Amino acid sequence: MQAQQVQQLFVRYKILALLIAVAVIWTFFHVKTGGIFVTSNNLSNLFRQMAITGMLACGMVFVIISGEIDLSVGSLLGLLGGVVAILAVNHGWGTWSAIGVVLVLGLAIGAFNGFVVTRLRVPSFIVGLGGMLAFRGIVLYVTDSQTIAPVPDNLVTLGQGFVPPTLSIYIGAIIFLSMAALTIRRRMRRAKLGLHQGALWIDVVKTLVIGLFIAAFVYMMNDAEGIPIPVMILIALLAVFSYVATQTVFGRHIYAVGGNMEATRLSGVNVAGVKLAVFAIMGLMCAFAGIITVARTGSGSPSAGTGGELDAISACFIGGTSMRGGSGTVYGALIGALVMASLDSGMQLMDVDNSWQMIIKGVILVLAVWVDVLSGSNRNA
Amino acid sequence: MSEYLFEMRDIVKEFSGVRALNGINLAVRPGECVGLCGENGAGKSTLMKVLSGVYPYGTWEGEILWDGKPLHAASVRDSEKAGIVIIHQELMLVPQLSVAENIFLGNEIRKMGGVMDYDAMYAKAESLLARLKLKGVNVAAPVSNYGGGYQQLFEIAKALAKNARLLILDEPSSSLTSSETDTLLSIIEDLKREGVACVYISHKLEEVARVCDTVTVIRDGKHILTRPMSEMTTHSIITAMVGREIENLFPKIEHHVGEVIFEVRHVTCWDVANPNRKRVDDVSFELRKGEILGIAGLVGAGRTELVSAIFGAYPGRSTAELVLEGKPIKVNSPQQAIRAGLSLVPEDRKRQGIVPLLGVGDNITLATLEHYSHAGRIDRAAELHTVETEIKRLRVKTASPELAIAGLSGGNQQKAVLTKMLLPAPKVLILDEPTRGVDVGSKFDIYTLMFELAAKGVSIIMVSSEMPEVLGVSDRVLVMGEGKLKGNFPNVGLTQEQVLAAAIDSSVDTPHAA
Repeated sequence: MQAQQVQQLFVRYKILALLIAVAVIWTFFHVKTGGIFVTSNNLSNLFRQMAITGMLACGMVFVIISGEIDLSVGSLLGLLGGVVAILAVNHGWGTWSAIGVVLVLGLAIGAFNGFVVTRLRVPSFIVGLGGMLAFRGIVLYVTDSQTIAPVPDNLVTLGQGFVPPTLSIYIGAIIFLSMAALTIRRRMRRAKLGLHQGALWIDVVKTLVIGLFIAAFVYMMNDAEGIPIPVMILIALLAVFSYVATQTVFGRHIYAVGGNMEATRLSGVNVAGVKLAVFAIMGLMCAFAGIITVARTGSGSPSAGTGGELDAISACFIGGTSMRGGSGTVYGALIGALVMASLDSGMQLMDVDNSWQMIIKGVILVLAVWVDVLSGSNRNA
Repeated sequence: MSEYLFEMRDIVKEFSGVRALNGINLAVRPGECVGLCGENGAGKSTLMKVLSGVYPYGTWEGEILWDGKPLHAASVRDSEKAGIVIIHQELMLVPQLSVAENIFLGNEIRKMGGVMDYDAMYAKAESLLARLKLKGVNVAAPVSNYGGGYQQLFEIAKALAKNARLLILDEPSSSLTSSETDTLLSIIEDLKREGVACVYISHKLEEVARVCDTVTVIRDGKHILTRPMSEMTTHSIITAMVGREIENLFPKIEHHVGEVIFEVRHVTCWDVANPNRKRVDDVSFELRKGEILGIAGLVGAGRTELVSAIFGAYPGRSTAELVLEGKPIKVNSPQQAIRAGLSLVPEDRKRQGIVPLLGVGDNITLATLEHYSHAGRIDRAAELHTVETEIKRLRVKTASPELAIAGLSGGNQQKAVLTKMLLPAPKVLILDEPTRGVDVGSKFDIYTLMFELAAKGVSIIMVSSEMPEVLGVSDRVLVMGEGKLKGNFPNVGLTQEQVLAAAIDSSVDTPHAA
């Protein structure tokens, strides 16, 4: 009975299982590395590393929920990063105008992918595979296979800089207060319409736990030099994507299209339009990730983002997104990205051979999805 | 030794307490062809599944005798080994494989080490086709090179390759032209002379009359009669198929039928796979305000295609002219249809109706999310308010609106889908098999709702294969057959026999005057 309750808790709050997994991984590495894993400097680096995969995972989770896949994102990241570097270095563009152009370009290329999938009806797997090759080819062509450096300082700051500690505290406080305010507003609105309310203490505990996490996170980051700017961007994206997924008509339509496209179409939803928008957003996320990659390394490398699609897709699946579409969460995908980044970082600290790193990551991916399948089948029983 | 090759005695099959088959008897002599007749849902396909081993021995009650000995088939393979082969309504050929490969699929002639013995298979395939008087077929060519008539005969060759002694043909002529059907029937007559027994299942009673020696009629899972064909006429078969009183299942509420509100003109749909075949052929009708219009017909008559085309959801090429409240409307997608004031509750709830992973509430509001949103943001509380009101109004039984809809019973799922399509406040509501797989209590609720809507002036088109439902609910009944409108009857003293006769009669091509 008790075991069943625990299981139900995990099924309902998948995030708990994921966080426990992260805690186990962190503890393991902390012990194995003689106490240098869970330190503010290492975690600061870890989160910064994860930011790029996290940005791709934000877009990818929508793509997978809508029942599609996009394999071209690693190459597209490389291409868009390359374009930023070329514009800023070779053509002397201002950093912000170069970024603006690349964001629009990312959106347009993503929309084009979506057009090929929805209007020309080429399966997204193939469109992605084709894009993976073609985009990488274009990067190599436009960069002449050369690394483009050095990029302007203000661009580098975007990748390597920090949000000042005091500002970090303010931002943390604002996030906490707005979450609390939203919860209160929801309760009041429901009370006004006479709708069923969850128990008050659950909301209080939830809010407090979230507050605790935010405080611990800000404290940890400030102990280094503040929240890294890419991580700050990722947090903002998490907020926006979670909002879109749970609060908007568009978000609901993404879940519905992935859950049953035919039923959704017969309900009068423009399913092709929804998918096209999802691909366009994926392209935009590739632009974000590409810009940050260039900023972090200070150069435009023709091989940037290689394998990025696999990291992003793995992050989504570890985070509980369904292979068949129709279910998944943004925060889950980001915790998935955190798991992948933690494994990378920990194994590097332990000086594990590269071959073993790949083997272990592969095994963990399959294992994580297997556990997810198990809990899913239990739910249906 | 019994005179029968095959005998089924008192077959009873239950699905979670519901008796789909209740004491069926069926017997076939060597070289005899037995026609099996019954309405949609009478239990024919369930019976065939018992017979062919899809439902293994032990999952049903009763006895099957084969050559006088009890047959305990645990799977389709067992019954095929005994010599019982079923040919399904939809052809089960792999189009990319060759004719010979299809004929021997799962039954391949092998050489050492599992290597295909193509020479032997080609030779045997050719001799089998010769037995069916089929000439000029290249057995090494892919099946897709040949038309539907040939493919049906390949299926028979496939059955003969398994040494079939009892051939079960389920609606074998449904995809054939009349000359192809003719060939098929003469081949069955040849096979009978060779001692092969057949069970011929068909709605087309003239085919049954031509080829069958004996007729067995079943209705509501019960055995009605078995008589020599010589004692029967198509009319007496129809009477036996229908022969029941409409139980008082229909809470008929008086409603006023007003002026014509919706005109449907010249709907034609072409088959997706075969662009020359018309699934719906130039159908026109009118619908009045507050009217419930039933569309009857046999499976495959083109009813679903007709309503899909009206709703802009037909997957292939289609044409239609629609006039709603005097204004022509253009409908190319369900989105446009809903905006124009049409709603469709589709036939296949699981595939087309529900989004299984989403909650009951999220399913209910899927077609009208814009109503509860400001600038793209959903007002969850307003949404939930509507959902809870609707759930109460339609008595949808669910523990919580957030529960995934997949966990609900069929009747409750159907109510949720119905609610979803009612929330856009349609002027014309199209229901395709609204009570399929729905329990009696929910059926009653759904009929009550339909009458209430009609009383409020909503016009309803209901496609249904259940004849009592059509007659119990409709103000007027359209009958379709082979893609054409075969009848248009006011539902005054209308009988099931009249409807069925119109649906089956292939000589009637022009609709009766209303």
